[in-house]
Amino acid sequence: MNPIASPVATSWILRYLWLIPALPIFAAGVSALLPKAKRRLSATLAIGSMSGSLVLSLAALVHAIAEPARQIVNFPWMQFGAQWVSLGWLLDPLAAVMLVMVTFVGLLIFIYSLGYMAHDDNFTRFFCFLSLFAGAMLGVVIANSLLLLFMCWEVVGLTSYLLIGFWFQRPAAAAAAVKAFIVTRVGDLGLLLGMVWLYAQTGTLLFYNNGAGCLESSAVAAMGAHFTAAGMAVSTAIGLLIFCGAVGKSGQVPLHVWLPDAMEGPTPVSALIHAATMVAAGVYLMARVYPLLDHTTLAVIAWVGAITAVFAACIAVAQNDIKRILAYSTVSQLGYMMLGLGVGGVAVGIFHLITHAFFKSLLFLGAGSVIHGCTEEQDIRNMGGLRRFMPITFVTYAAAMLALCGFPLFAGFWSKDAILEHAHAWGLSLGPYYLGAIGALLTAFYMTRQMYYVFFGPQRVAEAAPIESPRPPEQCIILHPHESPSVMTIPLIILAVFAVFLGFVGTPAWPWFQSFLSATPLAFSMHAFMEPGLIALMLYSSLLVFAGLLLGWWFYGRKAITRATDPDALGRRIPAVFGALAHRLYVDEFYKYTVIALARFASAFSAFLDRFIFGGVVNLVSWIVTGLGWFDSGVDRFVVNGGFDLGCREVNFGGRLIASLQNGRVQTYLRVIAGALVIFAALLLWGRRG
Amino acid sequence: MNPMPVSVSYSELLRLTWPEIAVTLAGILILALDLTVLRRASLAARLRSGVAIACAGCIAALFLLGYSDAFASLPGSMLVITPLTHVVQMALLALAIFTLLLSFSIRFTSHIGEYFALILFATVAMMFLVATQNLLLIFVALEFLSLSLYILTGFDKHSRQSAEAALKYFLFGGMSAGFLLFGMSLLYGLSGSIELPKIAAALSGPAPGPGYDPLLWVAIVMVAIGFGFKIAAAPFHLWAPDAYQGAPTVSAGFLASSSKVASFFIFAQVVAVALAPVAGSGAARAYTPGWVPTLILIAALSMVVGNLAALAQTSLRRLLAYSAIGHAGYMLLGIIAHSPRGLSALLYYVITYALAVVGAFGVLGALESEGIDRIADLAGLSKRAPGLALCLLIFLLSLAGIPPLSGFFAKFYIFSAALESEPHLGLLWLILLAVAMSAVSLYYYLRVLKAAYVAPAPLDQPKLRIAPATRLTLWILAALVVLVGCAPSLLLNSLGIR
Repeated sequence: MNPIASPVATSWILRYLWLIPALPIFAAGVSALLPKAKRRLSATLAIGSMSGSLVLSLAALVHAIAEPARQIVNFPWMQFGAQWVSLGWLLDPLAAVMLVMVTFVGLLIFIYSLGYMAHDDNFTRFFCFLSLFAGAMLGVVIANSLLLLFMCWEVVGLTSYLLIGFWFQRPAAAAAAVKAFIVTRVGDLGLLLGMVWLYAQTGTLLFYNNGAGCLESSAVAAMGAHFTAAGMAVSTAIGLLIFCGAVGKSGQVPLHVWLPDAMEGPTPVSALIHAATMVAAGVYLMARVYPLLDHTTLAVIAWVGAITAVFAACIAVAQNDIKRILAYSTVSQLGYMMLGLGVGGVAVGIFHLITHAFFKSLLFLGAGSVIHGCTEEQDIRNMGGLRRFMPITFVTYAAAMLALCGFPLFAGFWSKDAILEHAHAWGLSLGPYYLGAIGALLTAFYMTRQMYYVFFGPQRVAEAAPIESPRPPEQCIILHPHESPSVMTIPLIILAVFAVFLGFVGTPAWPWFQSFLSATPLAFSMHAFMEPGLIALMLYSSLLVFAGLLLGWWFYGRKAITRATDPDALGRRIPAVFGALAHRLYVDEFYKYTVIALARFASAFSAFLDRFIFGGVVNLVSWIVTGLGWFDSGVDRFVVNGGFDLGCREVNFGGRLIASLQNGRVQTYLRVIAGALVIFAALLLWGRRG
Repeated sequence: MNPMPVSVSYSELLRLTWPEIAVTLAGILILALDLTVLRRASLAARLRSGVAIACAGCIAALFLLGYSDAFASLPGSMLVITPLTHVVQMALLALAIFTLLLSFSIRFTSHIGEYFALILFATVAMMFLVATQNLLLIFVALEFLSLSLYILTGFDKHSRQSAEAALKYFLFGGMSAGFLLFGMSLLYGLSGSIELPKIAAALSGPAPGPGYDPLLWVAIVMVAIGFGFKIAAAPFHLWAPDAYQGAPTVSAGFLASSSKVASFFIFAQVVAVALAPVAGSGAARAYTPGWVPTLILIAALSMVVGNLAALAQTSLRRLLAYSAIGHAGYMLLGIIAHSPRGLSALLYYVITYALAVVGAFGVLGALESEGIDRIADLAGLSKRAPGLALCLLIFLLSLAGIPPLSGFFAKFYIFSAALESEPHLGLLWLILLAVAMSAVSLYYYLRVLKAAYVAPAPLDQPKLRIAPATRLTLWILAALVVLVGCAPSLLLNSLGIR
């Protein structure tokens, strides 16, 4: 059948697909107008709209499974000169899968937030922002136009900023929000340039438009045939520019610095935005524009992803903040996704994106539960022994941790293995494969370390001063850890089920997910495992995971960590390396002394220019104008005003004269008529004669 | 040359005049009810029922207008209905409704039935006035209107001023009606017809011979005097300040708004249709006699006299009266332009002017019930009645022609229409005079607003109490003034300007 559906929507779900983002945005709009006290209504709106979107998304997924061909709806948006800019939405397997993931994870996190944010004063605002985020993110997913995608992308960035700085009373949160906004802006500049260039080349920003879209073969072929001044194909250059946007949003090296700081936001935000959905938007963007990407671009993506995966995993080893470890882990996993996208195509990258969304949001929610239970404590050195107090959190967290490490048969195993398999088979270099393998080892190691610190050993009472809490102090008096309420644990359990079993939709034996996304025939065959090298690769990666777990146990599990002030077991062995890692490899410092210093200098220089050069000119002009003004006002006061006053007096006098005609005698009035008759008639007659 | 005997189909007449009949029936119903059933009822109840019936009649007429034929005419040009007359009639009905709503709180009379019936009868007269092109019917309708207005002016029988004003108005009106009738009979004598198009046809023959030459000019002047009285243009304006001051406020507002709309429309019809061949020209260096130079003279006089005299007034009512004379001068520019655009601009001007003037008199009525008449008494109004002060601000600024209120666009359209008239830019001097006089008018309007907004309030003044119906009507009027100003096309489209 024709792979491109007619622009006229044929099925109801396609016609009403716009409702999926519109519902949460509507909820956000209503919430924004609600008074602060309407907490219940705001939460109901947010959760209700998200449930509605989830139902619609499931319907869209069912439709996409039945009808995997891409379907689009385009509509003209506004006219610019002679051209109409069109927007539109699309439904294909990729969008359907993302829709379901975002709405499902989002709904669970919304519900979890009910418990987590229960004591917050700005509960209403929180749900307003969350709904706005969800709506914009869903907009990114269904956009059939790079322009619409970019608009939603920016709204997503805005809500990320708002939510990171949700507790803006804390200076760290405010700074983190600004940092996130500015750093992602650097990437977005690239995306914007890429978009403009793409429009200049193809004259459209619609992805698909029955053969006339910018991702369709004719446009891509035309762009591949053009070359820039440096000898690079135009499509490569545009692809790399768009990739800049993805680097910023998805926290790839070197723009990853904002993501760990973003953990200053409330934990549900970290789970939803900075682990499951928004940061994955960069990966999704690259998957969406995949037809545009050529070998060079894909190679760049693969290398950046592989380097990010290892780089962030290294840093994660030496962090002590529970959320920060997870943040670096997220950066690392996003690197895997990019690597998968670069070496193996859309299905590989997106498969890891989906599984990661489940287990990483689970990890964050688990961390939130731990933080909630430990009265806002985030330093893993001050935890310990929580296994006994928070059994549900422990079990679900362990499941997510094993999934993240890629423990055999857990969800992460299948998706990460697919990436490593494709990296191994990549024709250009084996470098990314080795980097990915090292990353896998490190992942297992740092997660084991975190598990031991948090859940095992004796309970280490907070000796260090607790970090500044945004909550009022009377809520911080609970000293012993406790399990979270069921509104928080039930989402954990649901997510845990997915973290364990979701991988089975894309095993080598039954690659349903991959075939659904890439529209290839599906067959169940255990023989897939028998393909040369596959079993060996799986064995290697499993061995790496076991090695990582073992190392973790060797350093942290063998002897229980008893005191919070004990130095790190690994740090004692290699203090230099560990110190550098603990300082996040000095990337922030590097930026401070290069980019920021340069910006400071430039701003100081501009201020100097402004104050003394331009300001001087402006002042000079203003002096001249003031002088003229003085002169003018002198003329006005003594020359013009005198005349004007005289004129006014005369006008006033005339008025009084005329009014005095009005003496109230009707005889006079009638005489005036008669006089007027004579005069008018005489005038006309005289004119006639003349 | 006798006019052809005309046979009128009465069923046709009935069908075409349903709106007028509805209003008349409402008037008679009010009279009857007030004299029978409601005789013992309280004043408030009689007022309420009177306003309700009268408004119902007007609204019914509005609906009937909406459903009647867009184009129709009766033999002898007795009734000539076009979309334009529909719009004018609708405006008249709307103004009547506003006047009625504002008279909810009248206290000067106990003859409620007669009062409302007279307003309705005057409205009927105006509706006929705008829908005919027959000199006889024009005169009859005009007299019917005038008689109703004389009585309305003198309705406050406890006030000597009111009686004096009515008497002056009546004497002046009777005199000018005599001139008008004389002028019309001269026209009939010259053309042999009382139908406007036929008069035009007769006059447009070969160049008018010297024989009837002086008579034609006299006829033109006399017609101009007759209508000049109705529209209160100088030098036939002398009744206006006295009548505006003496009449009850509601009557004065009615006099200044509705009757102006109808009179201007029919004046424009008479000169532009019947006298089109003898328009003449008042352009500098191209003077030819005709009605255009006559009207130019009247317009220039009105602008100067009205605006300058308004400067010297201390009473708000007299100020409005003189400013009305000035506005009549501006509006005459629309007739002088002698083009379809000019007519549309004139109608836009006169309708928006009427809205603002009804509103201004409504504010005045509310103020006078609290004993405020002089401009100086307005001090502190913005504190005592902020809503009322804001309405006054809107109405007066619209009259002064400040954008974005409707008065600005009215002036703009009428000036540009006059400038475009043939010969091109020939009337520039008149427009310059008009603009200069607008600047003068701004001064006296702002003087009122300064008193209301800037002047320090006398101590211990209580808040003003304003009847809810009055307040609502004033807000609607103010909203209309702003709306028609911000979106002039709402009204312009129905008046035929694009």
